[in-house]
Amino acid sequence: MDNKKILIVDDNADIRLGMHVRLKANQYETLFAADAFTAVTEARKHRPDLIILDLGLPAGDGFTVMERLKHTPFLAVIPVIVVSARDGLGNQKRAFEAGAKAFLQKPVNDAELLAVVRQALGEPAGIKTHAPAHKALV
Amino acid sequence: MKHKPLQVLVVEDNAGDVRLLREMFSGERAGSFEITHLLRMSEAENHLAKGGVDIILLDMGLPDGHGLETVRRAHAAAPCVPVIVLTGLDDEALAAEAMTQGAQDYLIKGQIESRALPRALRHAIERHRMQTETDLIRTNQIQFKDEFLSHVSHELRSPLTAVRQFVTILLDGLAGELKPEQSEYLEIVLRNVKQLHSMINDLFEVSGIQAGKLKIELQCASVDDAIAYTLNTLQGAAADKGITLSSEIEPKLPSVCADPARIRQILVILVDNATKFTPSNGMVKVEVRVFEKDPNFLLLEVTDSGCGIDPDKTERIFERLFQAADPAAADRNGLGLGLYICKDLVTRQGGKIWAKSAPGLGSVFSVTLPIFSLPKLLAPAFSDERQARHPVTLVVTEIGSRTGWLSNEVRAEQCRGIRDLLRGCLYSDLDILLPKMDFAGPAELFFILAITDDIGGGAISKRIRKQLDSSERLGKAGLTHSISCRSLDPIGRNATESMEECLERVAANIQELMNKEISSRQVRNG
Repeated sequence: MDNKKILIVDDNADIRLGMHVRLKANQYETLFAADAFTAVTEARKHRPDLIILDLGLPAGDGFTVMERLKHTPFLAVIPVIVVSARDGLGNQKRAFEAGAKAFLQKPVNDAELLAVVRQALGEPAGIKTHAPAHKALV
Repeated sequence: MKHKPLQVLVVEDNAGDVRLLREMFSGERAGSFEITHLLRMSEAENHLAKGGVDIILLDMGLPDGHGLETVRRAHAAAPCVPVIVLTGLDDEALAAEAMTQGAQDYLIKGQIESRALPRALRHAIERHRMQTETDLIRTNQIQFKDEFLSHVSHELRSPLTAVRQFVTILLDGLAGELKPEQSEYLEIVLRNVKQLHSMINDLFEVSGIQAGKLKIELQCASVDDAIAYTLNTLQGAAADKGITLSSEIEPKLPSVCADPARIRQILVILVDNATKFTPSNGMVKVEVRVFEKDPNFLLLEVTDSGCGIDPDKTERIFERLFQAADPAAADRNGLGLGLYICKDLVTRQGGKIWAKSAPGLGSVFSVTLPIFSLPKLLAPAFSDERQARHPVTLVVTEIGSRTGWLSNEVRAEQCRGIRDLLRGCLYSDLDILLPKMDFAGPAELFFILAITDDIGGGAISKRIRKQLDSSERLGKAGLTHSISCRSLDPIGRNATESMEECLERVAANIQELMNKEISSRQVRNG
């Protein structure tokens, strides 16, 4: 079976790389976008199984991306996990209303990220345990 | 350059005094002052409401206003216009007091030097202008600081994310095997990253407090869970320092009316603080019992055997950025915001927080939280005798999910909105939307108590159904709902029982009904 493809959208290159390393170690294939426009074109081109989306982006923001995805039926079904440094209160609500499957606050705990990724992809929790994320933040 | 004349409003009922005042302006250049004279406070208020007045000369003995009250009224009618109080020689103390009520200055009648009056007016206006400007600058500064705090804590999170990611990637061996020493050093980095993270969260909380954005969702909550959570969370850190962390909980404690997430937050801050300021082999203990001095409250105490605090500082430690301990003595690693956040959270949940301590003798931090009381919630609705004879309808709204499972995130996010929506469905002041009581398996239950007949209960249910059906948010979030209502028999008050006893009885009935609703769903929903 092919590995699942995950599109990582974040304008911070270090964070993209960090997520890539962690996801690759868990047998996921990764794609990247550093701005809102590229996020939508990459999603259209590669049809990822999941999108990890930052909110603060150049050329729009995470909400714009979700809005654009909704207009194309085959993109609208891709689950989106929002990962943001923004204040959780209002943005979390907005993200869920825009159709996000989960909202994670930066700095993200990798164990939590992996758990949410698996849940969003409909995989059983803890199936790939040979590369565990470091013990969770309190 | 031609100046507009200064508009002076003289409020004075003594014609002689007015004449004298007018004469004092006679030496001034024509067009530099324009005087309006009124006899009564009420007239002055009307005149001030129209605007255009630059300064008020106010007598403190008017036919319709006396003493400090006149100053307050003038200030209320035109908060931006400076006031100079006119007074007799025997009233100087009163006039001085007027300055605390917003007057700029006072002049003693019969002692006003004629050339000094116009100058005094100009000075008063100028002083007032400067004061207003300073206030404005201060307000802007505070606002700027809060926006800045919020912005900074946001900007700090992204780089911190990258640091955290790569440290854990290294620690998990994703970039190759580590030597024990390398692991140890990376653990130190990680510990410091976590600390930085909690400081950033503190900053964020504080900017939220300042902006009044901190959310608190009161519900019927147990403190046991919060204590278990806190001890679990901090046990490791305490053990590392060789500190014994324990708890003592009175059996069968009543629930409190508070936000469970916020109780956890309060306890974590207090226990974390206690651990920080307690040396190795010390102890930190959390105790809960009904507050001896007021049985309407629970008392939570966090006791430590730490370095203690000067008794004269036990109030100031709750101020923002205040740090009591000698920086060199303790492993101080916070911003000094924790107790400030605690105090805000406790106060907003209707409780109190205080500390007792002495240097070297440890500290006791005490928090009170109001006990959840159904009779008390019902009291306003039954304050009128007649209501006790009306039937009571319990309307149950059950929110579930199409997937059969409500995640905590969805619960937290959607429930506030649903509560607001339900609140809008209440028909009268007598209807009560009860705080959250208990989980009903994977569903969420909301109870409304309607003091009405069967028809009224049915009408509320219908209205809720219509509102929930048309809510796009619920549909989008994949939530389902069902509404049912059950009536209790009218509850007349016995001749022998007091209103309190009657309320207790009503509350017990309602509680029993709610428990049935909850447990039947817990069974059904698994």
